[in-house]
Amino acid sequence: MSDQAVETQDLVREYKGGVKAVDGVSLSIASGGIFGFLGPNGAGKSTTVRMLTTLLKPTSGTAIVAGYDVAKHPDQVRRRIGVALQDAAIDPYMTGRELLRLQGVLHALPRAECRARAESLLERVDLVDAADRRVGTYSGGMRRRLDLALSLVHEPVVLFLDEPTTGLDPVSRVTLWEEVRRLNREHGTTVFLTTQYLEEADQLADRVAIIDGGRIVADGSPRELKARIGFPLLSVVAADGSSADDVRRVLATFGEIVPGAVEHGAAVRLPGGSTAMADAVRALDEAGVRFAEVDLTEPSLDDVFLASTGRHLGAGDDVPA
Amino acid sequence: MSSAAVATRQTAALAWRSIITTLRLPQAWFPALFFPLVLMAIFTASFGGAPGNIPGFPPIRGFLDFAVCGAIVQGVLIAGTTAGAAFATDIEHGFFDRLVASPTSRVSILTGRLGASVALGVFQALLFLSIAAIFGARVDGGFWGVVVVVIIAATFAAAVGGLGVYLAIRTGSGEAVQGMFPLFLALLFFSSAFFPLATMTGWYHAVAAINPISYLVEAMRDEVLGGATVWTAITGIGIAAGLAVISISASAITLRRRLRVAS
Repeated sequence: MSDQAVETQDLVREYKGGVKAVDGVSLSIASGGIFGFLGPNGAGKSTTVRMLTTLLKPTSGTAIVAGYDVAKHPDQVRRRIGVALQDAAIDPYMTGRELLRLQGVLHALPRAECRARAESLLERVDLVDAADRRVGTYSGGMRRRLDLALSLVHEPVVLFLDEPTTGLDPVSRVTLWEEVRRLNREHGTTVFLTTQYLEEADQLADRVAIIDGGRIVADGSPRELKARIGFPLLSVVAADGSSADDVRRVLATFGEIVPGAVEHGAAVRLPGGSTAMADAVRALDEAGVRFAEVDLTEPSLDDVFLASTGRHLGAGDDVPA
Repeated sequence: MSSAAVATRQTAALAWRSIITTLRLPQAWFPALFFPLVLMAIFTASFGGAPGNIPGFPPIRGFLDFAVCGAIVQGVLIAGTTAGAAFATDIEHGFFDRLVASPTSRVSILTGRLGASVALGVFQALLFLSIAAIFGARVDGGFWGVVVVVIIAATFAAAVGGLGVYLAIRTGSGEAVQGMFPLFLALLFFSSAFFPLATMTGWYHAVAAINPISYLVEAMRDEVLGGATVWTAITGIGIAAGLAVISISASAITLRRRLRVAS
């Protein structure tokens, strides 16, 4: 397999009436990482995922997933990908164990392996006690965990998770994040996840692309993206015996002072990031400047989103398509 | 494993899933048993006082013998509509996507659903015949008569199942498929499923006389009432098979077209 888990070139999906849900998306995602595809509702995330998982044919452009072209060799792609789509598609009248075994058959695993995989996955996503209960009785978090387990039956190379935690409570969300991290760490599974939650992309992904109106507007590690917006802001509040001017004088040697950011103190954009913070604090100390508070704030992905699209991405709110 | 063996196993697994999800949902199987049986009971109670003497009816031992085949066909029709609606729900709720995004054999997506319909059709036919037998009905054709009735019911179940899948893919909505049911029921009532052609008059008779379901039910009834020949059996099975070929072809073509949008 190539080093790229997903590679797309000018991917376009046009719906009837000429609306381009996805409008020239080019992505190159290395194997082994967690990729976060961030954007509001209707931005083109799900349409992109449907093309990458062979559910929708691209209008133009190419997509190579797990080493195979989705349009030319969909079957090869299907053997290598795990898919957990939005609105967890799970039969309410079947039990978790039945569904896992059925999924094994659908992937043509030998009978004994279907059973063994079902048991180990139930254990892994902590559903052993609920295995023989109908899925209709599961909580939202349990369903998502089962959905995740179902997508892992055949040990896929690339796992697609379409908004895996939308509608989940914070505890269930964190549990699912842990599971995704563990999967990525222990099995080396590449994870492609879409989300409309900034925090999710920030927490989970080592690489993020922001999509808006069918186009990629930003692409990089969360750190890079934030760095592009600006350097982290170091704010220092002067303590009794030192003046704001004293603080400002020392900090000015480390970067650009942001005027008026801190009352009775000063703030500076630190090109050196958190490493430079230690130097700055030491310099203040050596200059005999006394300070009460030191704070380093990173730009958030929301700042990135704002800078890329001109809008805020309200976590979870419905932005019309 | 050969791809045919894989497809067979996947068909069986998907048919099994369709069957158990039907059995676990009372609103999925109850109407298919309850309404035909109730109707059969009402007709039998209404006409039971004059066995063999009703003008236009063939000579019968009891009205139940006459009514049971119509009930089987009605039950199969209800079950088929429910199955079609379930397939549409699979599309709506994403189970269909899960199948398509996996290497599941494309054929078994269709044959799995049809296999379940056929199995349920066989079960319904045997159950209805057994219940009728308990209340005194007798299959004149004996063992082979029962076999022919079951084959026609099962083949008709495949035909209705195919129609259900076709409508499911075209509408993508379980409610839309379920909404077609009154139309199917009308189709059934405009046939000789419940009363013989000879009792009908005017345009109603004309419609029933060209309705293939009339001849399908009559072929089954011949096995129960007597007078069946190899020819009537072949006619009945042939009509059911013809309907099945048409509806399954239509559903296969729509499914193919739908999947081509995918890849």
